[in-house]
Amino acid sequence: MPMVFLDRLPVPSLRAYTSISIAILSCSIYYAAQIVKDPGWRNNHPNSLVAAVGNATDNNASAIVDSRTLGVHMRELFACMVQEPGCIWTLINMAYCVLILVGKSIQKLVFGELRVSERQHLKDKFWNFVFYKFIFVFGVLNVQYMDEVVLWCAWFTALGFLSLLSQLCKDRFEYLSFSPTTPGWSHVRLLGLLTAILALSSFMLLMCVAAGFFFVSFNTFAFMAAECILLGVRTIHVMLRYAIHLYDTRGAGNTSPRSWDKRGPLAYYTELTSELTILAVDFLHHVHMLLWSNIFLSMASLVICMQLRYLFHEIQRRITKHRNYLAVLSHMEQNYPMASQEELAENSDNCAICWEKMETARKLPCGHLFHNSCLQSWLEQDTSCPTCRLALSMQANHRENAPEIPSESPTPARRNDNHFFHFDGSRYVSWLPSFSVEVTHNRIRGDISALAHTNSQLDAMARQVQQLFPYYPRNVILEDLRGTRSIEITIENILDSRLLPPHHVIEEPEAEPATTTQTTTAHILPIPLVQDTLDPRLDIPAADSGEEPSNLGGRFSKSSMERERILQRRKEHMLLTARRKYFERHPHHNESDTSLDVSSPVNLNNVTPRISLSHN
Amino acid sequence: MAGSALRRLMAEYKQLTLNPPEGIIAGPINEENFFEWEALITGPEGTCFEGGVFPAKLIFPPDYPLSPPKMQFTCEMFHPNIYADGRVCISILHAPGDDPMGYESSAERWSPVQSVEKILLSVVSMLAEPNDESGANVDAAKMWREDRLEFERIAQKLVKKTLGIPI
Ligand SMILES: [Zn+2]
Ligand SMILES: [Zn+2]
Repeated sequence: MPMVFLDRLPVPSLRAYTSISIAILSCSIYYAAQIVKDPGWRNNHPNSLVAAVGNATDNNASAIVDSRTLGVHMRELFACMVQEPGCIWTLINMAYCVLILVGKSIQKLVFGELRVSERQHLKDKFWNFVFYKFIFVFGVLNVQYMDEVVLWCAWFTALGFLSLLSQLCKDRFEYLSFSPTTPGWSHVRLLGLLTAILALSSFMLLMCVAAGFFFVSFNTFAFMAAECILLGVRTIHVMLRYAIHLYDTRGAGNTSPRSWDKRGPLAYYTELTSELTILAVDFLHHVHMLLWSNIFLSMASLVICMQLRYLFHEIQRRITKHRNYLAVLSHMEQNYPMASQEELAENSDNCAICWEKMETARKLPCGHLFHNSCLQSWLEQDTSCPTCRLALSMQANHRENAPEIPSESPTPARRNDNHFFHFDGSRYVSWLPSFSVEVTHNRIRGDISALAHTNSQLDAMARQVQQLFPYYPRNVILEDLRGTRSIEITIENILDSRLLPPHHVIEEPEAEPATTTQTTTAHILPIPLVQDTLDPRLDIPAADSGEEPSNLGGRFSKSSMERERILQRRKEHMLLTARRKYFERHPHHNESDTSLDVSSPVNLNNVTPRISLSHN
Repeated sequence: MAGSALRRLMAEYKQLTLNPPEGIIAGPINEENFFEWEALITGPEGTCFEGGVFPAKLIFPPDYPLSPPKMQFTCEMFHPNIYADGRVCISILHAPGDDPMGYESSAERWSPVQSVEKILLSVVSMLAEPNDESGANVDAAKMWREDRLEFERIAQKLVKKTLGIPI
């Protein structure tokens, strides 16, 4: 982007810019005042403004004379400045200056210091906006006259300002959602700003409608309205996500039972609707631009086509993801019953995915229970039981048909692999759009995907085959699949006994529950490492920690400050204990000059900051 | 998304604080970002890493526990399964979909029932018994196989370093 270059231009500080702007403005006001004083000017400009003011004063006889004449004077001044080309630029400059100041104070008020990533994001978004609007004004609309350009600039300035604020709110919200201890006040401020943006964007939409009725063509109206709608929907999207997040984290840390199952689909559908609305409006907006800028091979249409292509892929990806969601949902409803109350009572554990209590749950064939929404989000990306790894076939009902490869995962790298006939138009002529057609036939799908199998897909295929032939060892199936790359052919191989039948049944590690990790690690630590010895000679300097070491482990404070402090102390304590133990084990160290280090706080300080510093 | 991840992380933090496994401490460094933790791992007894206190950081994704966290030692490490930059290569940290080495069975890989505690216990067992098939650090793997004494000498040096004891 050439915009990066612009970014490096020396920009004066805000203070300098403001003072320069004010100075220029006062100069031009002075200049205008001089002109207005000249009696010749008034005769040359018997404009309607002055006449109208005169009219108003006649009607309003009781008005204070001073302020009236001052008002008239101001109006004249303004009328003069609008007509002088030099003055009008200083006025515009001043408007921008005020806008920047407003933005700065909003930032101070709501956001405080911006984080590095937010600033970077903002800058990118700004130049992106400028670039696309430049293309729009000069490439699509082909604006010829200066005053039109000025009007469009004003419009896009307002729009861009609100968009940037909205973007900033989104970034900040995402950051705040990483912390459980954000004070309520920052949420209120952010939500307030979002509401204000929403109100302003609706106001701008109303202005569009008004302008559409009275002044401008339908096309212009559609262009303007699309932008307002986009801004509005984006803001609403952030607000909805915010609301859901606040609902989610309400009382994080306590063990209050929650109604997860009602929340899940609601949150999902709000997300889906907003995302699709944004994409659809944006897509239509760009199609409109393309049709309007009737010079099809210009730079502008190229840029718009690229944008269109991107939007199209996004919509496609979202729809594929949604289809996966629906497939998983219906699969779950058909195959996994809700657990009965007795089963829930019998299973006293929490949900293994979210670690929260289960009021309702779905039951997998292996007998494991999970929340409906937790299970749903897991099955969207994997097809096995989280606890015991039992492979769950997504096509359990009609397994005799070619078992489908569970590669519905929405990862972008894989999304075009097998489900679509994909025509990438830009490979031939860069402005040609790309399009994709879904191939629904199961057999063809298997063949098309043959080249795209990664190891994990092989693994998944092997899992499918193994469901049909459970006593065949996994590695034999995998080996065959590597050659055939097709479930059907491997199944045929097995049926025709072209594959070696297993002489002895090999127990697959897969069949074992995942607890193996625990059992293997448990015996690694036979002796407790941290033991509080009663030997006073080896005791750690307690004055430094101020608390009994036993207190450090057994408490989970409600305040985040205290939690952080306790964690820090526990770490220090662990390090000191480890050092003491080390000297116990290596007595020669103890006798040498380093023995002092154990109790020396200076040395402790040398060690602990290194640990925490390494994180920045 | 981040909301449920936050609740789960908070629950794990609470559990790790109230019932800490021997020789392991873990928690968010700064609660303004609950998705970045620091863990201290004590080298397992009876191994060449015995006695060391190894700091590592854990970065959690917004959709945790559906996706695994990333783990990276922040001290100098020399181990067959730890990359030069400190990243840890064990199967429990790999999502079921990806398999960089192509040999792991999915039974050992990440699933939402795993937890920070299980990861750290796996790392402890990895420190005790390196898996020299995975070539995260080829030099270390080679030395582990061929020159165990030298490997142990280097490990002891690292232990002293983490404890802040002059060598
Ligand atoms: Zn759950
Ligand atoms: Zn299960």
